[in-house]
Amino acid sequence: MGAYIIRRLWQMIPTMLGVILLVFLLFNWVGGDPAYVLAGKISNQEQIDNIRRQLGVDQPYWVQLWIFVKQVVTADFGASWSTNERVSHILLTRLGPSLTVVVPLVLLATLISIGLALAVAYVRGSFTDRMVMIICTVGLSVSILVYIIVFQYVFAYKLGWFPVQGWGDSFVENLVVYSSLPILIGLVVSIAPDLRLYRTFFLDEINQDYVRTARAKGVSENRIMWVHVLRNASIPIITFLMAGIPGLLLGSFLIERFFSIPGIGREVILAVERSDFPVIKAITVYVAFATIATNLLADLTYKAVDPRVQLK
Amino acid sequence: MTGRWDPTRVMRRVRKALLCVTGHACALAVAVVLPTFGAYGADPAKVIRHVFPAAETGFDPAAVQDLYSATIEQMLFETLLTYDYLARPAKLVPLTAEAMPEVSDSGKTYTVRIRKGIYFIDDPAFKGKRRELTAGDYAYAFKRLIDPKIRSPWAWLVEGKIVGLDDLAEAAKRSGHFDYDAKVEGLETPDRYTLRIRLRETDYNLPYILAHEPTSAVAREVIETYRDEAGRAMANPVGTGAYRLKQWVRSSKIVLDANPDFRGFVWDFKSTDPEDQPLIAQMKGKKMPQVGRVEVSIIEEDQARLLAFQNNELDLMDLGGPLAPNVMDGGKLKPEFVKKGVKLSRIIDPAIIYVYWNMQDPIVGGLSKEKIALRRAMAMAYNVEDEVKVVRNGQAIAIDYPIPYGVVGHDPNYRSPVKYDPATANRLLDSFGYKKGPDGWRNLPDGKPFTIRYASRPDSLGRQLDELWKKAFDSIGIRMEVQKDKFPELLKLERQCKLMMRTASWIADYPDADNFMQLLYGKNIGQNNNACAKIPEYDALYEQSTRMPDSPERDKLYHEMTRIIENYAPWRLDSATYRNMLISPRVQGYRKHPILHAEWQFIDVAKAPGSVSSGSTSKAAPD
Repeated sequence: MGAYIIRRLWQMIPTMLGVILLVFLLFNWVGGDPAYVLAGKISNQEQIDNIRRQLGVDQPYWVQLWIFVKQVVTADFGASWSTNERVSHILLTRLGPSLTVVVPLVLLATLISIGLALAVAYVRGSFTDRMVMIICTVGLSVSILVYIIVFQYVFAYKLGWFPVQGWGDSFVENLVVYSSLPILIGLVVSIAPDLRLYRTFFLDEINQDYVRTARAKGVSENRIMWVHVLRNASIPIITFLMAGIPGLLLGSFLIERFFSIPGIGREVILAVERSDFPVIKAITVYVAFATIATNLLADLTYKAVDPRVQLK
Repeated sequence: MTGRWDPTRVMRRVRKALLCVTGHACALAVAVVLPTFGAYGADPAKVIRHVFPAAETGFDPAAVQDLYSATIEQMLFETLLTYDYLARPAKLVPLTAEAMPEVSDSGKTYTVRIRKGIYFIDDPAFKGKRRELTAGDYAYAFKRLIDPKIRSPWAWLVEGKIVGLDDLAEAAKRSGHFDYDAKVEGLETPDRYTLRIRLRETDYNLPYILAHEPTSAVAREVIETYRDEAGRAMANPVGTGAYRLKQWVRSSKIVLDANPDFRGFVWDFKSTDPEDQPLIAQMKGKKMPQVGRVEVSIIEEDQARLLAFQNNELDLMDLGGPLAPNVMDGGKLKPEFVKKGVKLSRIIDPAIIYVYWNMQDPIVGGLSKEKIALRRAMAMAYNVEDEVKVVRNGQAIAIDYPIPYGVVGHDPNYRSPVKYDPATANRLLDSFGYKKGPDGWRNLPDGKPFTIRYASRPDSLGRQLDELWKKAFDSIGIRMEVQKDKFPELLKLERQCKLMMRTASWIADYPDADNFMQLLYGKNIGQNNNACAKIPEYDALYEQSTRMPDSPERDKLYHEMTRIIENYAPWRLDSATYRNMLISPRVQGYRKHPILHAEWQFIDVAKAPGSVSSGSTSKAAPD
């Protein structure tokens, strides 16, 4: 196990180098020169050159790339070009609000989707199964933007069940008052596709010989479904879940913008709008790292879930 | 003796007891009332909830350039001068200055005396001492604008203007260290409360610079305590303004509390505008500021912003163009909003939208007759009214004059001869040799084909403008293609005179015509003369105008310069947008100011629902 982890960590290096190179090339290709915006409405070439010098964008590309590599190694991405706030501080302060929404969302979505998927898989082909599948198909055909606009209008404005937007000072207030509607929308958006996918995982398992054997031995249906089927179907579920978590952190930018949640996703959009390369660099690198790390975690979880799995 | 009833002793005891009770009551009242009403009339239960549609960047007056940071700064820091709340066009008045500056030496020397007894808010940087505002704080603020390390976007406010200041900046570039202690001939502080500014050239616009927030007073100790590597103190604003920063969740929430040390003022603004009279009747004589707390939310999405306002979560909101059709019928609020008591304060922004052609471009540039004819034809082919209606949702007005509404020098009676007239445009092109080829598109007079490249941003506004310009070019048989680029890249190409044409805008830094007429001055190529125009007649008149104060003679020059713009057509004047501020029924005394970003210290608001008035037991005013 230890050797496996070390090998996987070692394999991170070329992957991260690839990410660094890609981010660097993309930003320099499409990012635009921030000096012209930072210089203000009325500025001369000398002032623009001064800004370029201070930001380091007047250096040869290879020097800029080397600085980027050093920043990744030392985990110090300097300060934001537009606000001068330390990038580490930006990430630390924005992570909390994002996690306040994402963690309960992932937990609830996973539990609800697994429960419902098991239930409809159990009654496969029935009217209930078909109705649930139709609802899921319709549900996942609708854009998240529509859900946000409609839910915000109906539940927050018309019915007044939630605040339209906002973010407070205490964790409990944020979780209960301000995150409830975003989490509800997140659930509606994610349950439909998750349920369909998990249902197929469960159906694959339900048709296996070991299920028939268990039934023949008189094992209860509850035990068959919740223990045997669930355990065997959990490997693809874990793969799917782990692969989605880093993206979910960034992908919630729409929810964060509409509900004024000061999270990571909103910060990414802001950084792109401002051509704030240090922030973009840091977030991209950390997301890449998180993706690799969650993949490794997923592999380790396979072993925990199913001892037959061999990590090589 | 002890059992005897002595009325004198009893009365003395009663009096003593009463005094004691009264004394305790007074002490209690003072203890309760002073902290809450420390800021003159400000009541913590009076809360204004405002919204920004974009995030702030920080609160260092020398460093930030976005509107939203500047809005907060205006409440935290103080300039020497400011604007009268109700006077239109905007009128300068003293803020921390005793009076308006004394101007001498033909507009080259300005002497300002600062009011005594103004203090910065307490901060650890002052090491427990009260810190009085002095003339040196303004001199320090001016120097910071030109310190190369800070790379202030406002360097142009002082660059090349103040005697000796540029030399200091040059020395700093050589040594890498800006010497703030060095004497600057043009920035003298003969005593603690006097600032004397000496200019290299006559400049009658300096008072406007003294009212611009980048020149707000900052305390050197504070900057030196909190500055970052770039010499900026973005997160620790310590000023003398009406409010202080209480809480800041970046890009999300900004909370200001009334500054308990603020000197306050009595609301006594005057106006002859009949619309202002109810407002004056409501506010006159009140001790200001009344608002004890300002909560600013940053909500980027239009729908969320509007719903939050309708849901009573906001009191003031700038209604951007895209939202206008939801709330307004033309220039008025829809009846459902009026019924709820919502009010509207509507002004035309002191800004212009214009289309420029690059005067150095080989196809559209130059001063030859056929090039002028081409530009005039393009100007006549474009229907500004369509843009106002379709792109700006009716929340703009076509303009005839380059000096916008609310700016000194604006002439509301001026009429431009440049009108939407594609038929004349076609005739003009025909007569100057831009003949149509067999493919139906026009060629240059030498017979070569040509295409106009219209540059725009890759957003919805850019796409809408592309379509309108395509329609215009189609109507005169000229090929057009769109050049899409990100905003920073467009700016870069524009400064390098590499764009052929683009729709641009300019908002007043200060409300004087000069701020707009300089946009076509030849020496500003590479800076803000985005048409890269160098028209000798225009430049000569502009230089003449800079040496004149606001006067009918100067206005005459601006008329002549505008005719030159129409003749040579480096620009097509387009429109000016309306600013619509939605005001909740709780707010009193609000009127949008064309130059000031925030009006919180001039307004009043009903106490927050459910709150109890500080220092009293009266119930909250109804919402």
